[in-house]
Amino acid sequence: MVGDRERANNIFYSQRPSRVDGKLHKGEGFMVEKKPKKKEGILRKEISRRDFIKTTAMGAAGLGIGSWLTVPFTYGAEPPIRIGMFNEYSVFATEYGYWMGKVAKTAVAKMNAEGGIAGRKIELFDYDTKCDPKWAASMFRKMVLEDKVDMVMGSIHSGVQKACFPLAEEYKVPLFSGGAMTYEFTGKDAIPYYIRNHSHARSQALAGWKWAFDNLGKKWTFLNADYAWGHSLAREFGGLIKAAGGKTQDIFAPPATADFIPYLQKVDPDTEVLFTAFLGTAALGVLRQTVEIGLHKRLQRYTVICCTEGIGQDVVGKESIGAYYIEYHPRHLDQVPKELHPYEMAYRKACGVDENGREIGNPKVTIAGSHMYSMWIYPYQIKLAIEQTGWKNRNNNADMIRAIRSQKLKAGPWCPIGDLVMREQDHQGFSDFYISKVEPDLKLKVIERIPKEKVMYPSETDLTKKV
Amino acid sequence: MTSNIAIAMMNGIVWGLIMALIALGLNLIFGLLHVINMAHGALYMLGAVVAWYLIEFTGSFWIALIIAPLFVGLIGVAIERGLIRTIEDKPIITIICTFGIMLVIQELVLMIFGGAPRRIDSPITQRFPIFELQYPVMRIMIAFISVVLMSGLWIFLKKTKYGLWMRAVVQDREMAAGLGIPVTKVYMWTFAVGSALAAFSGVLAAPIVSVEFMMGREVLIMAFIIVIVGGMGNLAGSVVAAVLISLIQGVGSIFVSPSMAMVFSLAILIIVLLVRPQGLFGE
Repeated sequence: MVGDRERANNIFYSQRPSRVDGKLHKGEGFMVEKKPKKKEGILRKEISRRDFIKTTAMGAAGLGIGSWLTVPFTYGAEPPIRIGMFNEYSVFATEYGYWMGKVAKTAVAKMNAEGGIAGRKIELFDYDTKCDPKWAASMFRKMVLEDKVDMVMGSIHSGVQKACFPLAEEYKVPLFSGGAMTYEFTGKDAIPYYIRNHSHARSQALAGWKWAFDNLGKKWTFLNADYAWGHSLAREFGGLIKAAGGKTQDIFAPPATADFIPYLQKVDPDTEVLFTAFLGTAALGVLRQTVEIGLHKRLQRYTVICCTEGIGQDVVGKESIGAYYIEYHPRHLDQVPKELHPYEMAYRKACGVDENGREIGNPKVTIAGSHMYSMWIYPYQIKLAIEQTGWKNRNNNADMIRAIRSQKLKAGPWCPIGDLVMREQDHQGFSDFYISKVEPDLKLKVIERIPKEKVMYPSETDLTKKV
Repeated sequence: MTSNIAIAMMNGIVWGLIMALIALGLNLIFGLLHVINMAHGALYMLGAVVAWYLIEFTGSFWIALIIAPLFVGLIGVAIERGLIRTIEDKPIITIICTFGIMLVIQELVLMIFGGAPRRIDSPITQRFPIFELQYPVMRIMIAFISVVLMSGLWIFLKKTKYGLWMRAVVQDREMAAGLGIPVTKVYMWTFAVGSALAAFSGVLAAPIVSVEFMMGREVLIMAFIIVIVGGMGNLAGSVVAAVLISLIQGVGSIFVSPSMAMVFSLAILIIVLLVRPQGLFGE
């Protein structure tokens, strides 16, 4: 073979007529390749006209077939469907953001590989909310105005989503909630361009209060983070407990509390159930410190899985043994209802998740399994709606919303959580819940499945005429 | 009620001593270099993160307690030599610079360590009864280690050559340099000791609070409050202020909500700033 360096050495300036006098002068000319002294490989062979035609035809055919196989959406296809996405990738709740982003990208890649939506490729535009409502709203605007997205999904941050409500309405761009738990977003504050296929504080309370009231105790203390989410959970659960004749005590602590002893020592001595709601290190801190001061011996501990999503139970530690959780989708594969196993296994495989809810190849990372499914299902809901309505572009968004809000999804590869029912009036989705207990081996074992019908409270708004 | 007050007071003193250790490093750096180190909370977090890796590797909390602060101290040396030294006479620039360092450390830890919290097991799991509750022995041990470290720092400052140099540089930098004290070296080691103290606090607090890339942010705010109340540059003032604020918060939370107790302690900060801008114990 003739190497690049040798070929370069073989290049010399061939003489050609001078531009000045039309004669040949030494040192003037154009670049040609000198024949190598020793012919090797392909250069040894003279190329005939037949060879040239044959090679060119084969090359053209190869390129044509290759591009047809690998890029099914390019030539002559309609423009891509553009989906904007933002999640919490920095500052706070990054364990959520990581999984929400990963699952959405996996879902979109899978959908594109299966032919896209109505023959159109999906393009995903991904941004960081930085947990900052103002910043996130500017990203929403950027996605709509610069990236020309047709819809936006993601974020578990209620403040972020609330900040984007006016923009969603202004541009008539649907906002699909990633995991915001503020009940009012599909209640009294609902807007027509907001869709939520996952649980929230009220549905969690409706799912979780009765079983715990009957089995754990009737005197509850809420030790929750002192912001909207913590108050919302205390209000929703507490209202139901008191209405059933129980007794409640509310203690609120700053969201980033490190030392819980001042708060825990205020827990009423006759408390039977200690309900806690914090995120991040505070969630771990409150569970650990409850054990440190021996409070766990005289009461039952109950919480929502949001508190330790994306955190391995080994990290939460043995102090969590005996605690009860409300899950919105089981973390461990063997705790998922049997009929959902085929879908669940395929979903986990696609997203790189093992049977214990850990990332394959990186077992230190645990899934945000009760939240991330929303980002798997939304692309499918969008696909169904687009194919049903013949949606072409953002101008048809109202049609798409009307289609999505009346969907009744059956369990399947794109809906591994089981049946999902959307409600037309408030754009809220309903699916099953699970009560789990932390076993001595630190596994979250499901002890009760709460069907979605039990959490379908009456809608507080009617958006059917507003889209 | 009596039992609640007793628990609150004990916990207030213990937590106050942990906070004092954090504030001490911050105040040491300010007292000598006049640098408001916004990266102090990040160095506290870095200490805990390094300790987590060391414990994963060695299985020993006590080894991590020694090595992690040394490692963070060396990072402190690099920060002082590479960045702070070039801008040490520009207070506003140093604030912006150390804020940038804080962001860089946080984001690097997020990239490498991940965003989810991790736990460090308490090496001492015993508890002792106190009225109707129990109290972890580890917290008492942490308070004891804090006292030992603070005493060590006091001896270092008062009884050693380096300590004498440091005090001399604080009093008169030019005169100290004229007398042959290596001022730049003193600055460098002061920043290293301050950083190591932050890391010590991070490792000690980790079994209570867990480890996370953002864990330094809240601590930084409280450390600044302590430094301001105690007097900027006044190390003894920081210790007293830390214990005092924790006690007020702890005991106050029995009578009002703990959040209101926090508000109350912040109100004290405002009053101190108005009445004694130099801090309760002077600069």
